[in-house]
Amino acid sequence: MADLVLALIQTAALLALAPLLTGIIRKLKAWMQSRRGPPIYQPYLDLAKLMRKGSVVSEDSSWVTTITPYVCLISMVVAALLVPAFVTESLGFLGDLIVLVYLFAMTRFFTALAALDAGSTFGGMGSSREMLVSSLIEPAILLSFFTVALLTGTTSLVSVTSVIATSGASLIGPALLLAFAAFLIAVLAENARVPVDNPSTHLELTMIHEAMLLEYSGKDLALMEYSSMVKLTLFVTIAWSAFLPWGVATEITAPALALGVIVFLAKLLTLAVVIAVIESSMAKLRLFRLPNLLTGAFMLAFLAVMSYFVL
Amino acid sequence: MTESRMQDILRSMPEELSDKIKSRRVKGNEMWLEVELDAFAQVAAHIHNLWGASIVTFHGVDNRIASNDLKLVLVLALKGEEDFAVLLTSMDPEHPSFRSLTPDIPCADWYEREMHDLLGMVPVGHPDPRPLVLYDDWPIEEHPLLKDFPAEKKVQRLPSSYTYHRVEGEGVFEIPVGPVHAGVIEPGHFRFSVAGEPILNLEIRLGYAHKGTEKLFERLTYEKGVFLAERISGDNSFSHSLAFCQAVEGMTHSAPERAEHLRTAFAELERIHCLLGDVGGIALDVAFNVAAQHAYIMRERALDLNDYLAGSRLLRGINCLGGVRMDIPAEKLQRTLSELIRLKLDLKEFASLVFGTQSVLDRTEATGAVSLVTAKDLNLVGPVARASGLDRDVRRDHPYAAYRHMSFRVPVRYEGDVQARLLVKLDELNESISIVEQALGGLPSGAILDRVVDVEEGKTSMGLVESPRGELVHWTISGESNRPLRHKVRDASFHNWRAMETAVLGNIVPDFPLINKSFNLSYSGSDL
Repeated sequence: MADLVLALIQTAALLALAPLLTGIIRKLKAWMQSRRGPPIYQPYLDLAKLMRKGSVVSEDSSWVTTITPYVCLISMVVAALLVPAFVTESLGFLGDLIVLVYLFAMTRFFTALAALDAGSTFGGMGSSREMLVSSLIEPAILLSFFTVALLTGTTSLVSVTSVIATSGASLIGPALLLAFAAFLIAVLAENARVPVDNPSTHLELTMIHEAMLLEYSGKDLALMEYSSMVKLTLFVTIAWSAFLPWGVATEITAPALALGVIVFLAKLLTLAVVIAVIESSMAKLRLFRLPNLLTGAFMLAFLAVMSYFVL
Repeated sequence: MTESRMQDILRSMPEELSDKIKSRRVKGNEMWLEVELDAFAQVAAHIHNLWGASIVTFHGVDNRIASNDLKLVLVLALKGEEDFAVLLTSMDPEHPSFRSLTPDIPCADWYEREMHDLLGMVPVGHPDPRPLVLYDDWPIEEHPLLKDFPAEKKVQRLPSSYTYHRVEGEGVFEIPVGPVHAGVIEPGHFRFSVAGEPILNLEIRLGYAHKGTEKLFERLTYEKGVFLAERISGDNSFSHSLAFCQAVEGMTHSAPERAEHLRTAFAELERIHCLLGDVGGIALDVAFNVAAQHAYIMRERALDLNDYLAGSRLLRGINCLGGVRMDIPAEKLQRTLSELIRLKLDLKEFASLVFGTQSVLDRTEATGAVSLVTAKDLNLVGPVARASGLDRDVRRDHPYAAYRHMSFRVPVRYEGDVQARLLVKLDELNESISIVEQALGGLPSGAILDRVVDVEEGKTSMGLVESPRGELVHWTISGESNRPLRHKVRDASFHNWRAMETAVLGNIVPDFPLINKSFNLSYSGSDL
């Protein structure tokens, strides 16, 4: 019973922390741009503001537009149930790594459909670009998951986490590190960060992810934005839990849990800094250069699998 | 211009053309030729092509009260000289039509469409006779710049639609963007025809910011006109008011020497804050926010410096007819000069940040290229022209204010892409800083204002200024009671907008905002 409660607390923490992570990245970026920046809790206020507002829905849109925000939110909540953050307990029996990948795919599929639904130009452009990016990055994600699955002999994320976390440093090898690197590129690509997309632009013609949300407003927009924030948090958490989970609590004792929580927060912060530094030190890539980067991620993941068999 | 020079030009014409010239005279550095209506287009094309001239302005004047005709005025700048050729012709107000110049001089295109809208002059043989500045539902027989059209008149709006060029083919889509955009920018409609991401065609539709500026000038005295000029195109306030004042002073007397130096300094301070905004915008549009903020911080400091010197961040309220209102006292010089040095150092840092980042180079190189041929055909001006190898700068070619006494370089590059425009603008920033230092360092003593009281009726004059966006013209003919009979404004953007349509071809849609930003044109200045 205790493990179930812990798993639920963990999911609740992930869901609650999501806007904070976005706020922290924005704050860090602002500092690097010599700006003061909005407070790190600003995303909560933004979401609260949007939740109070009504939604304007295009007359030409169908039920797809209406249900997409809920589909996105629900898939993200379900995904959050599967991801171990500070303790190796989760409702992992619901699904494994593959399910996780397709929960993200479902979000993307519905978002892209909703963007096409109202028939606006920008939505169509956003969908087509998002599909370009995802078709290139999804194989990389799957391959990097296969690497850890091969290393640990299971596809359940909780088992992966606990096996790596308990087996010490012996598992650290080219396979794990290459897969981790591939997944880091996926974190940027899947979450509309520079150099793939620009999360802070107002230029519709250059947008990828944001272009798909242009038709949304008010509460629906809040749900879509919140789903994106949760998605980013989940990706960052998975990057650690699936590849370098050391520090996570593998047994339910107070010291282990305390350490797990502290290490988890430190890990979140570390990747927030990494993302902020990457976003501050380079320009966005030309759209047709993206395949170079994304197939690069695929190659890393491929090498990870190869090195498991060869080395 | 000398008499003999005019004779050279006239002798170069075939006899059937020179016979059509009704009168000729030299006025200062201008050669005035009055041509018969039927030969106007040929004479213009002859001078334009043989003497490598470029259009400075081309507009109509409703002169029905004085001589019962509509006049057509074409001002050409002769290549490599400070001189201008002014071609005049008159047409019957009952049948106001003339042979279009556009087939021979591509740059005349928008001028003729504008004339058609505002004065009802019909360019016969124009390849694209659609309206340019008036609203879609404006009745076509109403021409607001005619003298018998009262400015207060409300016209009956008639719904109609504008026909866009269509590109057809398998997989070709249209992307209409604007006129209302997501950012806080001016209105303009961009219609892309794309095959996937590559752009096959772009059609730019402007006119949404048309507000009857030229009509408004006719109702204001010259003294008040300065304030209107300052508000034509927000960030180019000083250039516009300077061109306006120069036009009026050309009919009366020039400003004192100290005022000319101060104007030079302020004009360059304006260029500095505008170009800093431009280069920051380019960095922002490639999502390199750190560099963008560097530029915006510098721009903010430049604006603060303007405020310190003139009490106005955008340098408004300084120019007035016959000089300037604001002096720069010696005790303000020190802070000014040290700010400028700081700016120069920061600019160096900005340049190394931008050009040291490979991903920025990758985005800017070869993006949105404008060839030299296009630049010449469309008569591009300013940094956009200079980035495409067209070496022209009003400050050097037709010196005004105190530029004759300044030593500066006109940076020119030949690639014509976004990066070339970025580099030209960065180089110009350094030149501008140096010009401010020279102008303020060698401030002559004396008065700063020699007020213009009265403007005689029936005079014409022209003020040419190199605004941060390029050659800017205010052309005026005085009417009664110190008001212009007609005041023509031609912003740099009016020429440069058309280059965007060719610059984007073959580029991909997500690169358009970057190309647009590298031009950074004014909608308000173009639509008037």
